[in-house]
Amino acid sequence: MAAHPTRRVVLAAAVALPLAAVSGCGGADVLAALPHAAPDVALLRSAIAAEELMIARYGAVLDGAGAAVASALEPLLAEHRAHLAQLRSRLVVPAGSPTPSQRAAVPAGVPSAQGAALAYLRDAERTAAAALLARLGHAPASLAQLFASISASEATHVPVLDQAAAR
Amino acid sequence: MSGGSAAVPAATRALQAALAAEHAAVYGYGVVGAYLTGTSRASATSDWLAHELARDALEAMLRSRGAQPVAAAAGYQLPVAVKTAPEAAQLAVTLEDRVAAAYLGLVAVSVTAIRQFGAQQLQDSALRAAAWRGSTVAFPGLPPSSLAAPRRD
Repeated sequence: MAAHPTRRVVLAAAVALPLAAVSGCGGADVLAALPHAAPDVALLRSAIAAEELMIARYGAVLDGAGAAVASALEPLLAEHRAHLAQLRSRLVVPAGSPTPSQRAAVPAGVPSAQGAALAYLRDAERTAAAALLARLGHAPASLAQLFASISASEATHVPVLDQAAAR
Repeated sequence: MSGGSAAVPAATRALQAALAAEHAAVYGYGVVGAYLTGTSRASATSDWLAHELARDALEAMLRSRGAQPVAAAAGYQLPVAVKTAPEAAQLAVTLEDRVAAAYLGLVAVSVTAIRQFGAQQLQDSALRAAAWRGSTVAFPGLPPSSLAAPRRD
């Protein structure tokens, strides 16, 4: 990893995800994909920004209309924080370089009624899950696996939000 | 079943692994359903059918690649001993977790259509697992050992 001092950011994907543990095959694909770091970093940064936005949305809903269903929302928010931490861990930023990862601003237009706020989060989850799937084809194998897993996790949040809205 | 020849393409090997997991799930859900009643049993039946459809899709994908799909075993050692309804639900979760891991193997394949199929199946499996478990997880299909310890930011 340290063999490319000019590269400001490199992926730690292959270190973080030993593919053999998942499927028993395909490890060579992961190694072959590593040298193309720059586009992967762009993919990673956009996934990080999407998670930051999602966390900001949950925060806004929990501070407002969603306070009464906090027990349903908190576990989902915790999973988004885990997604964000994992995505950030795939970026290796050399010491002293600025971290462009910005904290997402509180989004405008968060509904003030509980039902609408939960539908707002549900739609955001659906959109985020689909966006990750749309990026799969451009990602190296191990990053694609992380994206697919996070997308699946976000898809499972949809019925939880629907059930919270039905209570 | 075996024969990990280097001449077999990675995509075919990953498809065969997913198919083997689906064969085990189809068998396992038969056991799950036997210990459930009412809506739980209906869910097990619905999930069982979903696994049969996925199995058929994988067999078709393998045949289209000129590969002979792996056959189901006559019987499977269940990963969870089942005597009660909660144990049946636990078996369903375990079956889904194994299927999910196998589909992540498809996501690692460089063929776009196979990768997308794997991701979609992973999503479906995660939804079924969450319903049986009664809760969600942050990283469906990924073994904890594959996740980096998060940094403090």
